[in-house]
Amino acid sequence: MAMDQQAAPLTLAEKLQSLPKPMIYGILLVVATIPLFFSVKLPNKCIDPSIDFYAQAMKLPDGSKVIICSDWTNSTRGESKGEMEALLRILMRKNIKFVLLSIGDPQAPQVAKDTIREVTSAEELHGGKHYKEFEDYVNLGYFPSGEGTIVSINNNVRSVAQGKKDFPEGSGPKDALQSPVFEGIKSVSDFKMFFLVTASSTNRTVLERLTNCPMMYMVSGVMVPENTSYYASGQLKGLCGGVKGVYDLENLMEVGINNPGPGQITSDKYKGESIPGWPGKTNTGKGTAYYLALHFTLALLIIAVIVGNLGMYLSKRRAN
Amino acid sequence: MNLFLQVDPKSFWNAPHGSTELTVKLFAAFIIGIGIAVGLTFIPAQLRKWVVRFVTFGAGLFYVLFWIFPRPISRAPTDAPRGAIEGMSFWIADSQPVIMTLTNVIAGFMIGLGIYSLLRVHFSKIAKQQRDWAFSAVLVISMLLMVTLGYADFLQRQDPANFGLADQKNWGLVNYGKDLLFDGLLQNMDAGMFSIVAFYIMSAAYRAFRARSIEATILLVTALIVMLSLMGVVEFMWSGAIDSISKDNGLIQSFKLSAISGWLKGTIQTPAIRGIDFGVGIGLLAMGLRLWLSLEKTGGEA
Amino acid sequence: MDYSLLKQFVAVTATVGLYSVLYKENKFYRFWEHVFLGLASGWALVILWTDVLKSGWYEKMLGASAADGNTAVMGYWPYMFLLPIGLMAYTVFNKKHNWLSRIPIGIILGLYSGQQFSAWMTYYGPLLNDSMKPIVPNTAEFFHPATVVPGTVYVSDALTNLIALLTVISVLTYFLFSFDVKSKVLHATSTTGRWLLMIGFGAIFGSTVMMRFTLLIDRMYFIWIEFVKQGLLHMK
Repeated sequence: MAMDQQAAPLTLAEKLQSLPKPMIYGILLVVATIPLFFSVKLPNKCIDPSIDFYAQAMKLPDGSKVIICSDWTNSTRGESKGEMEALLRILMRKNIKFVLLSIGDPQAPQVAKDTIREVTSAEELHGGKHYKEFEDYVNLGYFPSGEGTIVSINNNVRSVAQGKKDFPEGSGPKDALQSPVFEGIKSVSDFKMFFLVTASSTNRTVLERLTNCPMMYMVSGVMVPENTSYYASGQLKGLCGGVKGVYDLENLMEVGINNPGPGQITSDKYKGESIPGWPGKTNTGKGTAYYLALHFTLALLIIAVIVGNLGMYLSKRRAN
Repeated sequence: MNLFLQVDPKSFWNAPHGSTELTVKLFAAFIIGIGIAVGLTFIPAQLRKWVVRFVTFGAGLFYVLFWIFPRPISRAPTDAPRGAIEGMSFWIADSQPVIMTLTNVIAGFMIGLGIYSLLRVHFSKIAKQQRDWAFSAVLVISMLLMVTLGYADFLQRQDPANFGLADQKNWGLVNYGKDLLFDGLLQNMDAGMFSIVAFYIMSAAYRAFRARSIEATILLVTALIVMLSLMGVVEFMWSGAIDSISKDNGLIQSFKLSAISGWLKGTIQTPAIRGIDFGVGIGLLAMGLRLWLSLEKTGGEA
Repeated sequence: MDYSLLKQFVAVTATVGLYSVLYKENKFYRFWEHVFLGLASGWALVILWTDVLKSGWYEKMLGASAADGNTAVMGYWPYMFLLPIGLMAYTVFNKKHNWLSRIPIGIILGLYSGQQFSAWMTYYGPLLNDSMKPIVPNTAEFFHPATVVPGTVYVSDALTNLIALLTVISVLTYFLFSFDVKSKVLHATSTTGRWLLMIGFGAIFGSTVMMRFTLLIDRMYFIWIEFVKQGLLHMK
């Protein structure tokens, strides 16, 4: 009877190729969790797009004005929130005012506002300025038609804010155009930079339509290859991609570029220039917190692929 | 008279807030609009596609003109156009923000349509008590709760007397409820839902990522190099090993992990992605033209 | 239990509920899945009114008064025409009149397609330009020396640029001539394009893995560090 037949023991090749799914999931969970309990500063080589991003952001005149198009939600919190936090820290420390809007997702404006609140509270604790809504940044909210909105920003930026209300601290809603952020703004070229923090296809929407303002993107990891192409062609002045980009920025905020000292980061492109960092301030965030765990999970995947391929190779050799 | 010029001097196209004139004009516009919509239902079937084609072409024509027409430079608000060309140029520039509003509003109605469609499916499930109707009820209740608390929170914050709501100490039940639903549940479930893919990628990579052909081997090796280059520690150790061999030899230095992955990205990956992109671009331009001229089925067939 | 801890507890429960699908499809997962869909669509509805229709349409149509009662912003009544246009979209469920829903869709598609020509130029112009780099060296030196002379095209640069150009051409050939071609040259170029494309996909895979793992790490950070360590155990 079939029941009596003993199943043939699995060969090594078969064993290597048939690890049970729960085991793989379990190992991944453990490997993604344990490193989070250890705070380790890992060596890092900052890549050019991140260095350019930091350098261009630092070169923005103190007190100038920029636009942040925030199109991420917590679905990519692991990457986008770290990016947004790093960007906000740089802007707040340089007292740069910004217009906030979203063309990607109805949840995005609220998520961005929550992040701004968290970062300004953290900065205040360390002697930073309290960034006030309406005074230091103005929120235009969500626009479902990204295409038309970006064309309008390029053509007549004030028209995009027309009719929009924002909530100043300590008073009721006011017209967004009355915000000090819009003072002296006639066209989009009066803004020094257009920052896009996104995890969706709005990167292309903006790139296709915005011609009158320099741009820098902060994108999720999966979007890095596509956006590297835009960075290489000069359409983007800088690019921060994924958690690696965040870790780069956090390192750059600590030591700057071409400044002698421990952990020095040098760049041939900025030879002869010294771009400062903020040593001693809170520069680390999600990038530093997650980078060690990312090492282990990537290593796990590499091992899993090698094990699977080894199993296949042994099977083939046995069959031959 | 420019319908699209939205400046406040009184014109035929506007009226003071709360005035009888505005109310009458709004009502008339509503009746005319509904009348046109109802009138369209009587159009013979063979003419319908021409109506859709006309609307699509007209809408597209605006942005084509916006692109090809010269734009006013350094124009002051009081400047008047000199001649028909400049007049057209001013008209297009003034109209674009209104077209943006129009697009956003229609896109808004479309989002509403999506939600209406979702509700239609789930209400029907509940009404007919179909299999798993209880989950449909959960969806509808969650939606209603979010709409109620979300909008109530918005209304409270609109009131100038409630400016203290910026501080959590002054929150009431509505504000806590909205925060719990949005920040506590929705945002965290959003993060949870998208993070599940990591498990599937891991499992799929282990089971299916095999060097079975030349293409698969190339893909596998490149993926490994990119992943290794993302690991700072590996990069650091690899570079150290290369430096220990020679710090001056350009050829040897080219074997640093960052150099290899940088070369791959700059020389093969980016151009390969551009190759795809250019291919897509040709199709995109053709599709744009077909949509505009209603030659694409989804664009204009009625 | 304070509010922030309660909020975290609810969030962790929901996350665990969603993760339970990894074991198998179950009712606990389906419950949270439907809560998620309900909340997401509910929020979209709120924002649809507060951020889009109220400020972008309703208030522009009605205008506004200043504190002294005088008109501050005029009301633009032609915006009323957008209501029947928008409502036409909802005829999609009506068998007899569903063609009307193609009118608002036609407007959106028309506006989108009209933008495509300028968008195409803005998008592809710099990319095309950057793809054409010098492929003839102007020095006999192969590698970059310690100090690179600006404007010099080293042999290694020229080779790299040539490979990049060939990659673009061969991948494009693979895309445009995906059907069976008789020309041997085209066939060889197309095959090379397919191999080079795999390098691009390999890099995309590596980046995708980074992203997906980071999202998982972030969830684990929320559960174990933010909720358990900092929230429950009050540890730094």
